[in-house]
Amino acid sequence: MLYAVVAVIVVAIILIGTVAVILSTPAPRKYQLDLWFNSDGHYGDTEDELATVLKNSIEACGKVTVTLKSEIWADFRQSRNQGELPFFLLGWYPDYSDTDDYLAPFLASTGSPSFGSFYSNATVDQWVTDEQTTTNAAIRADRFTKLQDKLAADVPYIPLFSGYSEAAYVSNVLNVELHPIMFKLFIIDKPNSAEFNLSTTDDITSLDPALAYDYFSIELVNQIFDTLITYEPVETRLIGSLATTVPTVANGGVSADGKNYTYVLRPNLKFSDGTALNATVVKRSIDRAIRINDPGGAAFLLYDFGKLGRNAANGNNSNPGAIEVQPDDLTITFHLSAPVAFFNDLIAFSVSSIVPWNYNQNARQPDVVGTVVGSGPYTLTGYVPNQQFVLEKNALYNTPSLYSTFGIPTIPVDDTVTVNLRSGGSTALKQDLSVTPKLADVVYRTLTPDDLRDLQTQATSLGLTVDIAASPFIRYLVFNVQPGNPVAITDLRVRQAIAYSVDRQAIDRDVFRNNVDPLYSLVPPGFSFSAPYYKPVFQTEYGDAACADANTIWTQLGYATSFGTRDLIARDL
Amino acid sequence: MAGSRSLLAYAVTRAALAIPMLLILLTAVFFILRILPGDPVLALYGGREPPREVLEEARRQLGLDKPPWVQYVSYMSGVFRGDLGLSIGEFYHGRPVIGEIANRLPATVELSIGSMFIASVIGILTGVVGGARRDTKTDVAVRLYGTIIYVIPIFWLGILFQIVFAIWLGWLPPHGRWQGTNYPRTVTGMYTVDSLLEGNFDHFVIAARHLVLPCLTLGLVLSGFFTKTVRANMIRTMTADYTEATRARGVPDRQVVRRHAFKNALVPVVTLLGLQFAILFAGAVLTEKTFSIDGIGLLLLQSVVSKDMTMIQGVVVIYAAIIVLISLIIDILGAAIDPRIRL
Repeated sequence: MLYAVVAVIVVAIILIGTVAVILSTPAPRKYQLDLWFNSDGHYGDTEDELATVLKNSIEACGKVTVTLKSEIWADFRQSRNQGELPFFLLGWYPDYSDTDDYLAPFLASTGSPSFGSFYSNATVDQWVTDEQTTTNAAIRADRFTKLQDKLAADVPYIPLFSGYSEAAYVSNVLNVELHPIMFKLFIIDKPNSAEFNLSTTDDITSLDPALAYDYFSIELVNQIFDTLITYEPVETRLIGSLATTVPTVANGGVSADGKNYTYVLRPNLKFSDGTALNATVVKRSIDRAIRINDPGGAAFLLYDFGKLGRNAANGNNSNPGAIEVQPDDLTITFHLSAPVAFFNDLIAFSVSSIVPWNYNQNARQPDVVGTVVGSGPYTLTGYVPNQQFVLEKNALYNTPSLYSTFGIPTIPVDDTVTVNLRSGGSTALKQDLSVTPKLADVVYRTLTPDDLRDLQTQATSLGLTVDIAASPFIRYLVFNVQPGNPVAITDLRVRQAIAYSVDRQAIDRDVFRNNVDPLYSLVPPGFSFSAPYYKPVFQTEYGDAACADANTIWTQLGYATSFGTRDLIARDL
Repeated sequence: MAGSRSLLAYAVTRAALAIPMLLILLTAVFFILRILPGDPVLALYGGREPPREVLEEARRQLGLDKPPWVQYVSYMSGVFRGDLGLSIGEFYHGRPVIGEIANRLPATVELSIGSMFIASVIGILTGVVGGARRDTKTDVAVRLYGTIIYVIPIFWLGILFQIVFAIWLGWLPPHGRWQGTNYPRTVTGMYTVDSLLEGNFDHFVIAARHLVLPCLTLGLVLSGFFTKTVRANMIRTMTADYTEATRARGVPDRQVVRRHAFKNALVPVVTLLGLQFAILFAGAVLTEKTFSIDGIGLLLLQSVVSKDMTMIQGVVVIYAAIIVLISLIIDILGAAIDPRIRL
């Protein structure tokens, strides 16, 4: 009995001593990384999955532990802006079709704080200024290349993928073009019918061009109103709309210093209510947007980015003399306080849509049938808030043959469009196409990858066509690199190691069912305005899931790989 | 006469107490929203962030640059004038809060009334049957039903109904409140009522068909509560002394249930209806989302995620006012039915 007790005591001492030795030896260290993402669907329903796949790919190299954290959008934005987030997911949709809008906002010192990176480099700032203030294509190309190279060298961001846009529609419907900038209802053609139904989960905030700055408001504004210049039906090239042509340096419409843009209106233009549309009305309309400067609106694109100014001494309109109307009342010149290489794109944006003389000059125009008046292909003839819009052909549309050289003789093609708003999400859109009779001819946007796949599978039996096209929307990771910020990741080697670890193929395969395009620069490659400048710098420098390279850096930094016995015991305890 | 006066006094007292309660609630919500993290102005700019000066001016235009107590006084003075302010969130910003609520409240009311009707009828029927046949197989089935139906996720049941009745069978529309562009003339905003007011039976049928699945979904889930409550009350009344005395006098069991036990079993259920309406409004959010019904449940959800403080305040106070009103009506009804409540 005594011997048994002694034996037990000895064994216990040995065990306790072994555990103590193991626990006291320094544990293999892993880098602790918090990855933040938005949790209320601001970027869609796949955000949780995306964050998880990223976590797995970074952890797969064995030297990092990623903790996922999330906030709703309003809190996420505030935390980001206050520099509280070290590493997080964001998305970007450009306001104008110029490569500048994929680089300058992120890399310029004035813009990077609003992305939460706080990246700042004086040389980069100069390159941004150079490309923004010149119309010389060679200089712009050189600066865009330098900016992308620097992006890969300093890694304040890791580009992930460019998104997709999608539409599913009854197979005999024609001209459902997934244009990267402007989805055009007025070219859609349902054969043997003068009308069609479209369903979407989007909704509007306002049909007043001075206020509209969300996706669907802009889309509807583009159907009801007109801008001086607009986009081709399929490509992203600009063509004249209310103006006869797009001003360039070559045709004399843009001054050599890039500070003066002159547009010549077509004669005898009218709004849908018969009132005149001339250069005076154009000036008044642009000034109205600048003066109202609605919170959440896009007017700052005109007066700040577009260098038209907003002058309190001039009634909060553009700077005196910035917008000049010629005596013929057809020619209008914009005098910018500094050169803006992409000013034409800003004039094509919905905030530059022309509104009638009698529009409310100091507040939003009500979204009521009869008071929403534009000069676009459609007029608003029905509106049930949160449920439905009805658009009908504008009998006084000024340029019905605008797309005749593109094979569309007259626009709008169909006389009536009924837009049904479905707050039930992607499932409701799928149901609209699955029931008999169908509740929609066209379903546009916000289909989840799974619902998209279901529709593709059932396309033949349901008589549908499902189109997926590249979108200018990009997703990326952001590092907070703010000097002196305790949460910031200021060690370049850490950022590089994580850049090596990211697996874009897994994101495309596991989250988006092979519908997105892996992105190796903040500039997406698939569009006419960006393709000439695109450089896959992250593919060249870092590739995907390059754990060997990542671990070389982690080892240099003193981080170990895999679990040892100590970790197993500690985890169980 | 004394009884009528005491009932009237009871009702007036309850109504008078509701007003300060609503004011306290509104004050609490107002300041809690301003303490919580999140910047509604930043949330307005979903993508590109404008320059700082633009953000500051936006704050000034929205009145958010003023001290919280100044904002409170301004807001409350508006409330007393019937003005719940303008939305400051990214979804409805610039629009009057009262207007957005008025647009959407009828949909939720229509859904709630239909759902409560289904919940009450099914719940009471099953509860009575279960209670009257205690410890039989019928009772077991009723109890199982009451438990299972109450825990089924509303959205799961809703999607199931959509698949079966809308897509497979094609009997009913899968979602929404209306089909087509010829809407009923707006009087109440409830399409069923407005159709009847304009004497258009075809319109009424369209509106009613769109209500069937969502009301069935929400109503069935809520019926579980009524099933269990009514059953418990039935058992209590069936075993009460007066019921035993009734049986002893030779009254048939069916008459005992119908004439005595049933009515007495319902008295506590009536008083619980007020609580159920609060639960129903909460459940309506999921039903509205599943069936694409733009009611105030979805409005509140969108307002919360966009930090639309004025809209949240407006919806909360309307919700509270509705619940208080319904509870008041139920309490008065209960007091009228059962004088013991007034004492």
